[in-house]
Amino acid sequence: MKTQDAVFRQAYPAPPYWVARFDVAHPPGPGAFVLADFGGPLREPLFPATIDANGFTVMLPPRHPATRLLPGTTVNMLGPLGQGFRLGGATRLLLVAETACLPPLLPLLEAAPAVALVIEAPTRAQLPPPDRLPPTVELTLVTRDGSAGYLGPLESQDPAPANLQRVMPHLVELIAWAECACFACANDRYPALATIVRAARIQPPPDFAQALVQVPMPCGVGACEVCRTPTRAGEKHACIDGPVFDMARNFALTL
Amino acid sequence: MIELAPRHKFGLPIASPVMPSAGAFGYGDTYHDLVDLHVLGALVTNPVSLNPREAARGARIAVHGEHFVAHTGLPNPGVKRVLRQYRQTWERLPIPVIVHLIATTPAETAKAAEQLSGVQNVVGIELGLVDNVTPQRALNLLDAARADGDLPVIVRVPFTGVDALAPLLADHGADALTLTAPPRAVLPAAEAVDDSEARRYIRGRLYGPALLPLLLNVLARWCSKLPVPVIACGGIAGLQDAIACLELGATALQVDALLWRDPAMLQRIAEGLAKSDSSPRSE
Repeated sequence: MKTQDAVFRQAYPAPPYWVARFDVAHPPGPGAFVLADFGGPLREPLFPATIDANGFTVMLPPRHPATRLLPGTTVNMLGPLGQGFRLGGATRLLLVAETACLPPLLPLLEAAPAVALVIEAPTRAQLPPPDRLPPTVELTLVTRDGSAGYLGPLESQDPAPANLQRVMPHLVELIAWAECACFACANDRYPALATIVRAARIQPPPDFAQALVQVPMPCGVGACEVCRTPTRAGEKHACIDGPVFDMARNFALTL
Repeated sequence: MIELAPRHKFGLPIASPVMPSAGAFGYGDTYHDLVDLHVLGALVTNPVSLNPREAARGARIAVHGEHFVAHTGLPNPGVKRVLRQYRQTWERLPIPVIVHLIATTPAETAKAAEQLSGVQNVVGIELGLVDNVTPQRALNLLDAARADGDLPVIVRVPFTGVDALAPLLADHGADALTLTAPPRAVLPAAEAVDDSEARRYIRGRLYGPALLPLLLNVLARWCSKLPVPVIACGGIAGLQDAIACLELGATALQVDALLWRDPAMLQRIAEGLAKSDSSPRSE
């Protein structure tokens, strides 16, 4: 663990986010993070959306302090920190995300020869524009109100109204197809999603399904106890044991 | 050396007046890459209870301006497992260890204190009291911590209880007092997304620079009146803050959660004090 000075290069709008680019010697890998000091009382975790040898980009909410930085500004960063996604050479990769949680999965869009992406949004207007995604990605859109794509939520088995189709059977097919599945959703959804994984794959290998936990991580080193996350094996620190966890082993309701 | 427990048979000497506060620095296995522990006076551990405690459910942190509120529920695996997990780490540390003990009941406090007695490199207990503790209850807990153990006992006094508790505890045998625990405060957990979503609030420990003038006020009022060393804690964010605390009579100081943003601050303060003559009780 170390601190490093990153150089802010640019920020531009990409609704509903802003994209900010930082040059840094040691960028975090997919699902890992750095804690950046933007002058507030706490450092902020930054998950890379794209990564290259010289740095990374990150998706930030509009009005984030980083969007007002001048190019060339130095930002102190602690890290890289945490355990990121572990693909293990998978050639068929499934990514599942709520729109609000999607950015940490973006570095994985071209991480395998075949990538399927399932995005769930409350409504059509909140889905990301498909033309911003690589054309090689097999995209499945899900809306909670049925305004586009499949009807959500992802884990629902309720019968769908006429002319709408629940996403669950398709999700089960994708899980059966994939060699590795990465999830980025609200934490309270992981037990139900882990149950779906266990139903679709009998005895999935370790790290077959991985879940990125979304919690504040103020210290990044396991000192503050703010990021303690309940798992089947007791509470774990998201900042050092995660934030990416083996979903089936840590969050399944039954084994 | 600075003596934190001059009335105790073994004493509690530390080489530097600077320590992390309980809950800010873990159990000694974190931050060693970023902070040279040799320059610190002691490690004050995260809060430990006799029995395991789970983390608080729901939102645990809220930020507002330069301040934030944290509510963790003081999770810890219990004193036995903490000792199993960190005993060797503590033995290897270049600085002594003060274990912060969550004072729940007198019986539990006595048992936990007894288990800490004799652990290599554990040189003291810091007793953490709940905010609404009564004076009699505080004395009972102090007695319990001292009953079966032979470690010096520092009591961390709640922010709202200094007037009622500090002189009482000092007269009753506390070896030193930490003034103070972070005050309780309430902040909105997050911005409500829309009108239909109710705004939630978090009640927890308050951290931020505004605590410093409150701390200095407490030190100015109490340091000269108390017969035991005072450890200053709250809002210290730099060398000048530390010097102010020592000039107002504190014997040592603890840097609280503000170090999460800048862990190296601990080292800078310790090295800065070592260079200056502002550590009045150092030899």
